[in-house]
Amino acid sequence: MAAAGVRRRRLLPASPVEDSGPARAFALAAFGVACLAITLYGQAFVVPPLAFALALAGHRFSHLQRHRRRPRKLQVLIAGMMFLVLGYFLFDSILGLFGANLPQANLVMLLVAVTSFDLTTRRNLYSSLWMSLALVYLAAVFAWDLQFGLLVVLWLTCLAGFWAASNLRRLGAPRFELPRRPVAIALLAGLLAGGGLFWLLPQPSASPSGPLVISLPSSVQFSGLEQPAIPLVQFATDPSGKSGNVDLRFRGRLGNAIVMYIRTGAPAYWRGLTFDQYRAGTWVVSGSAARRFRTFHAYVDSHDLGNTAQGPQLGDFVQTIRVVRAMPGVIYAAGPVESLYYPATEVREDGFGDFYAPAPHRAGTTYSAVSHLPDYTPSSLRLLTLELPAPADGTYLDPGNLSPRARTLARSYLDGYNPASERFDAVIALARHLQRDYRYTLATPPAPAGIDPVDYFLFDTRYGYCEMFATAAALMLRSQGIPTRLVTGYAPGEYNSTLDQTIVRESDAHAWIEVFFPGHGWVPVDPTPSFPALAATRFPDRWAASGLAHLIPHLALGAPTAALAGLGAAALLPGLLALVAIVALGLLWLRRRPRTARARSPGESELIRLYDRLQRRLGRRRAPPETPNEYLPRGCRR
Amino acid sequence: MRPTWRLLGALTLAAVVYFYGATSEVAWLFLFGLLLAGLAAAMYLYARWNAAGLEGGLRLVEVVSAEGSPVAEVPEREFADAPLPAPVFERDTVRIELQLSVADGSGRGPARISSGFGAGSLETGTGLVPASGWSAVRELGPIPRGPLAAEGTVLESGDPLGLFRTRRRVPQEDLAVAFPLFASLADNRLVREVESQLTVVRSGHGTDLYGVREYRSGDPLRRIHWRNSARRGELVVREFEPPGQRILALLLDRDPASPESADQIARLAASEAWDCLRAGGRVLIWAPGLEPLSAPASRSLWGVLEWLGRWPRLTAEDSEPPRVMDAVAFTDHVGGPCLEALRELREHGAATRAWLVGEGELDLPFSRAGLEWPLPE
Repeated sequence: MAAAGVRRRRLLPASPVEDSGPARAFALAAFGVACLAITLYGQAFVVPPLAFALALAGHRFSHLQRHRRRPRKLQVLIAGMMFLVLGYFLFDSILGLFGANLPQANLVMLLVAVTSFDLTTRRNLYSSLWMSLALVYLAAVFAWDLQFGLLVVLWLTCLAGFWAASNLRRLGAPRFELPRRPVAIALLAGLLAGGGLFWLLPQPSASPSGPLVISLPSSVQFSGLEQPAIPLVQFATDPSGKSGNVDLRFRGRLGNAIVMYIRTGAPAYWRGLTFDQYRAGTWVVSGSAARRFRTFHAYVDSHDLGNTAQGPQLGDFVQTIRVVRAMPGVIYAAGPVESLYYPATEVREDGFGDFYAPAPHRAGTTYSAVSHLPDYTPSSLRLLTLELPAPADGTYLDPGNLSPRARTLARSYLDGYNPASERFDAVIALARHLQRDYRYTLATPPAPAGIDPVDYFLFDTRYGYCEMFATAAALMLRSQGIPTRLVTGYAPGEYNSTLDQTIVRESDAHAWIEVFFPGHGWVPVDPTPSFPALAATRFPDRWAASGLAHLIPHLALGAPTAALAGLGAAALLPGLLALVAIVALGLLWLRRRPRTARARSPGESELIRLYDRLQRRLGRRRAPPETPNEYLPRGCRR
Repeated sequence: MRPTWRLLGALTLAAVVYFYGATSEVAWLFLFGLLLAGLAAAMYLYARWNAAGLEGGLRLVEVVSAEGSPVAEVPEREFADAPLPAPVFERDTVRIELQLSVADGSGRGPARISSGFGAGSLETGTGLVPASGWSAVRELGPIPRGPLAAEGTVLESGDPLGLFRTRRRVPQEDLAVAFPLFASLADNRLVREVESQLTVVRSGHGTDLYGVREYRSGDPLRRIHWRNSARRGELVVREFEPPGQRILALLLDRDPASPESADQIARLAASEAWDCLRAGGRVLIWAPGLEPLSAPASRSLWGVLEWLGRWPRLTAEDSEPPRVMDAVAFTDHVGGPCLEALRELREHGAATRAWLVGEGELDLPFSRAGLEWPLPE
């Protein structure tokens, strides 16, 4: 037959059968590390140990049978098992039959385990390694602590071991044996160099490549309702479990426990809920706003949302938020949100641009958002587009039951500013007055019955917590005709440069206000002491040795610039010292260089080489202990 | 030193992981990528260090004689000046030690040493070269006649992970010369008789001073050349040529038709030489355009065998055919300078004959031989 004469061409050259037991052991160990990572960080306790045990048996079988022809029955069995695993994955990820806990990871682990019975060549082992690397990557997404670094180092050690074993096999070495001390020093040096670079270098962020993102439907069912951050019993009517009001007469105790880990391109206030109506010490959402909900599928893209950015923009940035503990299903993100991915069948958005999950967040829930980064600077905010309409909803101007003396106080704070044309200066002036004249404390007694908490804060105690400051500022601004609303959420939190994460704790729970600026939209303003009055988000300067920043404990993301600015002229000192050191080294090098050059006249080295060659040709050699000065006269004598 | 494909793979992996770190903001991926890069840098330095301190070489450690090897026929006394560790004949199997050593006394590795020997090659490697050195013995054989030379001995070293590789050629001299097989073409004599003859000849009973040589056990004291001994610092004896000693000239062609016929010619020549030497004679070998056998080697079995082992790959040198009264020519074709030289000797009255390997007729007394060895009865 003509077809029989056609030579089959291989796409890839044949891979050698891997005879090295250590290489196989390292590949298996790498898979073990990956399984451990998934167990520890994916909270999966059944599939990883099962898969590893299966892989252990499979590797042993493959090693023993590596030079034998694979029986067809075995191939059919492995193929059947792979289809079974694929079915398991589909049922688990779509229907959630087995808990839908990391179905992709389970798929990969079981595939590695099943195929381990047919791992004979080096290329097979490489495939197993890369699959276990994918598992480590998956676990890394869930890993938010430093200990995970050990697993990364362990996996890399396994890869290095595999390379070393296969390299020794290629060289024909009979045993897996290396000079221990030099190899240990080299490995340690490599790890230290990599770790040092990781610690010192900033971590750039780039836009994810959209077409490669695959989203799987999730049927995760939440159960239970916990509100640990709010100790008082509150009745939530929303399925997300969110509270519908902020009552100033009560305040929950805030501990230091971690609430969220956030990977973010910029530090920001993490918006949660917005309130527009104040009545007798309680912020609520007005009826009209409370009913305006839009429902989206899990992925809310910018087309669905429309253009949420107003005014000049600096760009956008990504946040990946991992919720550490169960909490109400308020989707915290920097505002305004451009797009959002939340692992649920649907999310809702209210009229303020706040998003809600269909149920409370479960511990471990991870979601991501892309937010606009508006250019909020004093100069830009002073430019108002006054012809643009203010929010039609009059609730933003309702001062609630603000007392006359509070109104008088507000007027005095804003004295000299036109609330319409000089809105920025007026707002900042009021915020700074509050920051300067009132003290921040969490130990605030509840307002006595019959007294408005704002009045009690402004004129009696003169101290309070963030909600007091924000409420007072909001109502006072509203009394002067400036549309304002209250926002609750979390302050930026503490940045850990090694993990490149922001750690948000209970104590970061915060409230601030948003003031409407024509042409800019709702601009965050924070009247609480120790916070910047204009709560603007800025891209951090991550390329300026951000890793070093955490040497100084009080520095957080974005703070280095401020800290350096606070030093004044002294901030130039490190740079100047570095410059002096570089110049000194350069001068030293320049001083040494001519000496070397002067030691030898032009062409001298060539003459010596020529002379040497002639001597060799004549059969004369320079004795090992002979110096050139001894050798040359001897040569001349001859 | 050059990078391997594996380095490219490692750096690509690091770059991919780093890119994923940048797009997913999973900080561990940055750590992974940078650790890989750090490891690659450390391995580069390791490979340089490893290559700088490694040495390699080859050594002949043992010879396993093939069946029918003439080594069993050589009298024991002859082995006093035989090449070490043992004379190597064609068809023998040799054991060669491939050695790796470190220059500064600290353990290094991994390393591999490989060497080609004609069609075959030897190679071995290890992960660890201890301070005392490392070696492996490999067997090679059956070997052909001629110099046992390592072609392109290469010392390869690198880092443990195989990211970098250094290949260095190690200069290597000939390990040995595989001598041609030989057998007595004359009637068998008792070994004892042969030994006694060789002993007699060694002392030199003639009257013509042939030369001086180093003192050997058994030499009479009166033969010691005291003045020369004092000058040299070691005992030297006069050597006399016995009267009537047979001097046999072996005339060989320069360009044999094939390697097989060259081997057969060398065997025949060695056999003629062996018969002459054990009868107390001297052998002179001449081939047109090639360096002749040196005079001191003309009495030495090993010297003759070495010349024949190297023939025809010898240094070019023009020389006259020896003027002797007894000559044998060896050729695989009719005509040529070898036979012309033989005819000239014949015209001067010398006893001449020839060995013809292959087909053809000569106008001289000749014996014919095929390519098989030993010669058929």
